[in-house]
Amino acid sequence: MTRLSPDFVEEMKRYSHDTALACFNCGTCTAICPLIDEHFPRRMIRYVQIGAKDRILENAPELWKCLHCGLCTQTCPREANPGEIILGLKRMVVAHWRKS
Amino acid sequence: MTQDNPKPETLAAKIGVYICHCGGNISDHVDVETVRRRVEKMPGVAVARTNMFMCSDPGQEMIAEDLKSGTVDRVVVASCAPSLHEKTFRSAIQRAGANPFIYEHANIREQVSCVHHGQAATDKATVLVAAAAAKAGQLKPLTPIRVPALRHATVIGAGAAGLSAARDLADSGIPVTLIEKSSFLGGQLARLDRIAPTGDLAADLVRQLVESVLNHRDITVLTDAEVVGFEGYIGNFKLTVRRGQPAVEPATEPRYIPFSGMQPAGTGADKPGDLTVETGAIVLATGFRSYRPRQGEYGFGDFSPVITLPDLIRKMAERHVPGNMLTIDGRQVRAVAMIHCVGSRQIPGIHPEDENGHLNEYCSRVCCTATLNAADRIRQAYPGTRVYELYRDIRTYGRDQEELYEQAGRNGVVFLRFEAENAPEVLPADPGDGFALKVKVTDTLTFGETLEVPADLVVLATGMEPNDVSDLVEMMKLPVGTDRFLLEVHPKLRPVEMPVAGIFVAGTCQAPFDVGEACNAAGAAAVKAAALLGAGQVELDPFVAEVDVDRCRGTGACIEACLNPGALSLVEMQIDGQTVQRARVTPALCLGCGACVAVCPENAIDVCGMTLRQYEAMVDAIVEN
Repeated sequence: MTRLSPDFVEEMKRYSHDTALACFNCGTCTAICPLIDEHFPRRMIRYVQIGAKDRILENAPELWKCLHCGLCTQTCPREANPGEIILGLKRMVVAHWRKS
Repeated sequence: MTQDNPKPETLAAKIGVYICHCGGNISDHVDVETVRRRVEKMPGVAVARTNMFMCSDPGQEMIAEDLKSGTVDRVVVASCAPSLHEKTFRSAIQRAGANPFIYEHANIREQVSCVHHGQAATDKATVLVAAAAAKAGQLKPLTPIRVPALRHATVIGAGAAGLSAARDLADSGIPVTLIEKSSFLGGQLARLDRIAPTGDLAADLVRQLVESVLNHRDITVLTDAEVVGFEGYIGNFKLTVRRGQPAVEPATEPRYIPFSGMQPAGTGADKPGDLTVETGAIVLATGFRSYRPRQGEYGFGDFSPVITLPDLIRKMAERHVPGNMLTIDGRQVRAVAMIHCVGSRQIPGIHPEDENGHLNEYCSRVCCTATLNAADRIRQAYPGTRVYELYRDIRTYGRDQEELYEQAGRNGVVFLRFEAENAPEVLPADPGDGFALKVKVTDTLTFGETLEVPADLVVLATGMEPNDVSDLVEMMKLPVGTDRFLLEVHPKLRPVEMPVAGIFVAGTCQAPFDVGEACNAAGAAAVKAAALLGAGQVELDPFVAEVDVDRCRGTGACIEACLNPGALSLVEMQIDGQTVQRARVTPALCLGCGACVAVCPENAIDVCGMTLRQYEAMVDAIVEN
């Protein structure tokens, strides 16, 4: 069972803009994403919200599918900037990979 | 019972029948011209006409011209349901200078063209119109009942709605008695702090409202008072009000006690005992109470850090401990989990009924915004305290309220969404965990993963339940919905009106409202009551029982059958030099139900506008057509 970890949002501030909590889970980003990959990027952004760092690291390869086309960021109704969050997650994953 | 009645006599009535096409809604299924031709030949029918829209000006004008020229003196319109346009045509007749009660309505839309087609539709329309014409032939002009109305209104309940209604009524020149059960004015509004979405202080609103009421020379305020007796009718009600011993020391001048309300200054006249209030109209503003969670519901009563939203609001307002983190009951709160829809939107089979078998299936409407308001305030004042909101659905309806939801996102509130059948569980935290509690929730926003929310405080967003007013409901014969809120006559056509004429509702006794909506309803009730009482008399429909004194033998059967005590009584009178008892109707109290007509062994009582003779004529017409 994943335990909510609010501190992860603070940790993420080192890697990207602090916008994940603006997301209200509408799914527009996933609907517009040309990857048509199940729940991408919505699920990753949700994991940031609840601080499920382990789940992000488990599913890290997903992040490298992203084309950075910017459609999700353009269409996000809450201006949560999903594209930038995904980029930030890549930075976080790489930083962890280096550490380990 | 009716065999003694002579056959309906054929009066020399000149009946005008007007059949409406309703632009095709009727005439697409009913052959209107055939109906007209058949009806034209019926006894007493002077003219039969058709029109595309009888309710239009030309349609109404047609009736008026026939009345003015003396062509007709009884009117039948065959059109839609009487609830739509009966009033329209009665008014048209009145404008033409005739008595509005020489009118009969035949519904050939909802009862015919909506449900039948072809020949069957035309035949049924003919029968209904024939019956209406036969009744019209027996109609007599009636005079509306006029009763003098006391220029005084009574408001029951001194919360936001009651205070507003009292002030608005008094401002329009109607003296008001305001009756409050507790020792304080302000109701549930006084138990709040900052009101969403404007951020007004509830205490300021209560003070302003109460001061405008206490300083009004036309308002009498009775605290510690309850209505224990009710009699009379619109314009002439009589209430027995019982004043109890005040629960608090009398004050020499009005004082505001936080989370209780405003206590008015005591006067020498505040002695316990009964008093009578004679009044013309009544506004019920009896309000709501916050749902009290069951023992064990989300850990309520099992764990002390599980509290309700009203508790949280009060604790935060009464004991502000400065710091990075919110402190409740002396404990620092690192994380608070707020659970929505507690005691609202309950589902049969999922949520247990309360001890009286009730289930609150409705949405209480205000808790989403109130919870977000509290969450925003915590995040802004105590950035070290994390806030989680666990909701089923979130709806911040109303102007500027969505803004609070957006703000919550910006303030870092984390939302989790659960399904009703998979509600969160509040459990003690694992030993050594550091937090007081953990909430286990299957979160649909994380695609059904089960999450654990660590929390030092759990807040239950409890909904609204109407206050128990069963004694008033019983006394005044008021309709109550299955949700236990009072039921107005019609939410659009006759809002805030009760079916008992002269009684109105305002505020959360009729549905969950926010403060603004409660005050809107209070304004509506005040205007309606003031309009009613402003003329000094009220006009009632004349469809009430009438006694034929020549036939009455004073058996009293009608009085036993009467549903509204006081509407019928036996009085002594002199007939042929003998003192006899005869039934007498008090028209203002009569409901026009006809229970007396059914039981009278002498056929000595009838309901005006619905007499046995008129019905016999209708039945004859139905048989003949």
